[in-house]
Amino acid sequence: MSLLKPFSRRPALNTATILLVEREEEFQQRLAEVLVEETAVTLNVRLAKSLPLPFENQHSRPRIDLVVFIVNLTSELSLQSARASLKYLDPGYFLGKVCFMATNARNAAVPQERLDTLRGLAASLRCTLLFAEDQTADGATNASERLLTILKVAAGLVPMTTALYLSNLTMCTVPSNTNEVDFD
Amino acid sequence: MEDQMKSLLRQLVRRIPIRFLKVTLEKWGRLTVAQQQNIDFTQTKWALADELIAYSEENRLTLRHITELEMIYVIDNPNQGMWHAFQLVDPESDAPAVELMQFKEQFKSHLNELVRNVSVKMKKNTDEAVWIRIAWGDSCSRPNNMRPTYVVHYLQTPYVFVTRLTSKQKTLLSQAMIIATRHQAIKDAHLSGRNFSAIRDLLMQEYEQVFPAKYPSALVERNQIAALPNIEREQAEAEVNRLQMACEAFGGGKLPQLQSVVYKLETKFKDPSNQTFTEREKPFNCVVTFTSKNLLESLRHCASSGIASTPITPLLSSIPRRGRNYFVITDKVSGPSSQINPTV
Amino acid sequence: MNKQQVDIFPTKQGDGRPLNMEPAKGVLSHLSALEVRARSRQVQPRQRSRVEELRARAEALTVQRDRLKAEIHAHKGIEKHKTRLNNRGAAAAEEEMETEDNENEQLLHLIARVMDLKQLLYAHHIIGGYDITKTRRGKGICVTLSTAYEGVYLETYNMELDVGPTLKISRHNVPPFIPLGELCEPAGRQKDLRGFLDPLLTRLNAFAGRRQQLRLVKELHPSVTVMESNMLCSILVILLSTPREKTTLLCTLNYTDHTRCLPTGVHFDCEDKKLLESSKWKNNRKLLMETPVHKALGAMKNMDCIG
Repeated sequence: MSLLKPFSRRPALNTATILLVEREEEFQQRLAEVLVEETAVTLNVRLAKSLPLPFENQHSRPRIDLVVFIVNLTSELSLQSARASLKYLDPGYFLGKVCFMATNARNAAVPQERLDTLRGLAASLRCTLLFAEDQTADGATNASERLLTILKVAAGLVPMTTALYLSNLTMCTVPSNTNEVDFD
Repeated sequence: MEDQMKSLLRQLVRRIPIRFLKVTLEKWGRLTVAQQQNIDFTQTKWALADELIAYSEENRLTLRHITELEMIYVIDNPNQGMWHAFQLVDPESDAPAVELMQFKEQFKSHLNELVRNVSVKMKKNTDEAVWIRIAWGDSCSRPNNMRPTYVVHYLQTPYVFVTRLTSKQKTLLSQAMIIATRHQAIKDAHLSGRNFSAIRDLLMQEYEQVFPAKYPSALVERNQIAALPNIEREQAEAEVNRLQMACEAFGGGKLPQLQSVVYKLETKFKDPSNQTFTEREKPFNCVVTFTSKNLLESLRHCASSGIASTPITPLLSSIPRRGRNYFVITDKVSGPSSQINPTV
Repeated sequence: MNKQQVDIFPTKQGDGRPLNMEPAKGVLSHLSALEVRARSRQVQPRQRSRVEELRARAEALTVQRDRLKAEIHAHKGIEKHKTRLNNRGAAAAEEEMETEDNENEQLLHLIARVMDLKQLLYAHHIIGGYDITKTRRGKGICVTLSTAYEGVYLETYNMELDVGPTLKISRHNVPPFIPLGELCEPAGRQKDLRGFLDPLLTRLNAFAGRRQQLRLVKELHPSVTVMESNMLCSILVILLSTPREKTTLLCTLNYTDHTRCLPTGVHFDCEDKKLLESSKWKNNRKLLMETPVHKALGAMKNMDCIG
């Protein structure tokens, strides 16, 4: 079992790398295509179905600045897979370099408990939870916009701020009665 | 006879959509060119049928000619009603030598021996298929041309496709069929559906099958998306593997449009939280049906995208491998009870 | 209260253009509208200059050249070993390996051997061996049977076999009119792979050949009408016209031996019985029995027997 470490490699100049983890492998491709349109920085996107990442790619893989777990709320497996992948991340990532992105949250078929679980998970890890619309092109653009903002900070491209600082402002919180349970 | 011809023609005109009617009539070729040009396809179907009946009387056409028209339409548009597949087994030594004329003669004479009033019409299609139209009657009634049975058989192959057949007629047809094709028995192939070509392609293996090979197949290349340089898939290899597995199980390219699969479970109920049911001696019977516009393609997608785990369970891969869409699943009698095998 | 205070957002922006936004829509929609505007103002993706592009290309090519150079170097080493391997006996080579401590040398030696074996395998395939792939971790094999007729590769058929106590076909794409079970069962029970595959390949080859002949007849002889044929191509009825006698002949070719592409029986039907008795048509019958049908028809046409 190999942990993915945030500082195992040296950063490249004006470069940011984002890892999109999605079990369904549907939204990630479209999101990646929008993300690479960014011109201000050199942006690398790595796509994965789940963690751990294959050992063979280790040498070619750049330093990953932000890990995004895309969770399709209509599927329980999607949430389970994201949760199972978490343990392959170095604790260093949880200082602001991980975020969750929920899709299909507006779907009427989604049970409320699943969203609560995801929210609890994000809150317990002090991570940001974003919501995205995955059916439309506009939704993908919006989602990539939000990710880019976080990514630039996480990659250290924004002066005067750090990922830890940003995540303190944007991290997911849950109402206090459940918050204490999660703290353990 | 005259009445039957009229009502059959009327029924046909009612069944055939206007847009197919012109082409079908042209193919039929029993009307003169002038007559064909005179037909006004914008009038009501009832009036259209009247016009056609008038022409048929003018040309002295008989019931056989009208059944010919029906066959042309059915051969071109076979996806109506349920088609069932049967398999001939135990061929005799001269089975491969059966040829069309001999088959025609034997089939007709044997069926006539079994039922007195039966009208059989055969037509060989361009793809070597023999289409048989059977209008059944019994000892005291004339053949009913309004609800004919259609049978499709490719000579030298063990498969027979049938639509609109009652169980009583089934025994008669089976007998005539096995004698005419020089086989000893016929059995249900447990494959049925509305899409005739899907069923045929599945059994005749007229779809692209994928086999493991030493050399890289075209599959990988075909599915490679023109990737942007900055996007990289970490688990691309696993993905290709899954795709290969899925294609090996269900086939590559376009797959036959099978629309449903039925699993009849006769297995013991197992759920640790439900004691009452688990302890029951009798198997728990239930029927699971999968339906989709194109079931095989859906299943292939499930496997290639990782929704269904690979290697693919034989329960699913048996559909194309054994060419059937009806399975009865029972517990294995010996060995661990958790194992389930699809048996007849 | 004036209107400006009721609206949460100002209706005018810095650039003076009104924001086409209904203030009643809410904060979030306003924010997303603002985002859209911000995005549209972003600089257009700047074009990479030509020089930059060329430089990148040059760099890529240099890398490729270096890699190829390294490959050539490695190949040379392997070739050297191969010749050494071939020249000396196996025992001497082994001795050599023991004495040589150089690990790199040993590796090259092994690579050379693997390549040698692979080439042998390839040669075996070329001369008509079967192409066999191991599947399911050795529990099964996949055999490729390729058919050919007159030097032209035709269809390729595949079979997946279970290698258990007996050989069993688990999956195949051989057409259903080839009696697989009948052909393979006896040999399969004795686990005789060659006995299993050889008769099948003969049949498939013969079938592919007959089908190709039929295709060629249709293609090369438009004046000949194919009246009847079947999926197995075991019967062929053609209509011939004779230019001199001005009659038509029905010719039936029977291929009862399914392992061959030549007919086992030729039969003519004609109203003019005398014509069939003539020595010319007797010769034609012989010709059809002994040569592939499309060639025979060509010869008959040359002799002016048929139109």
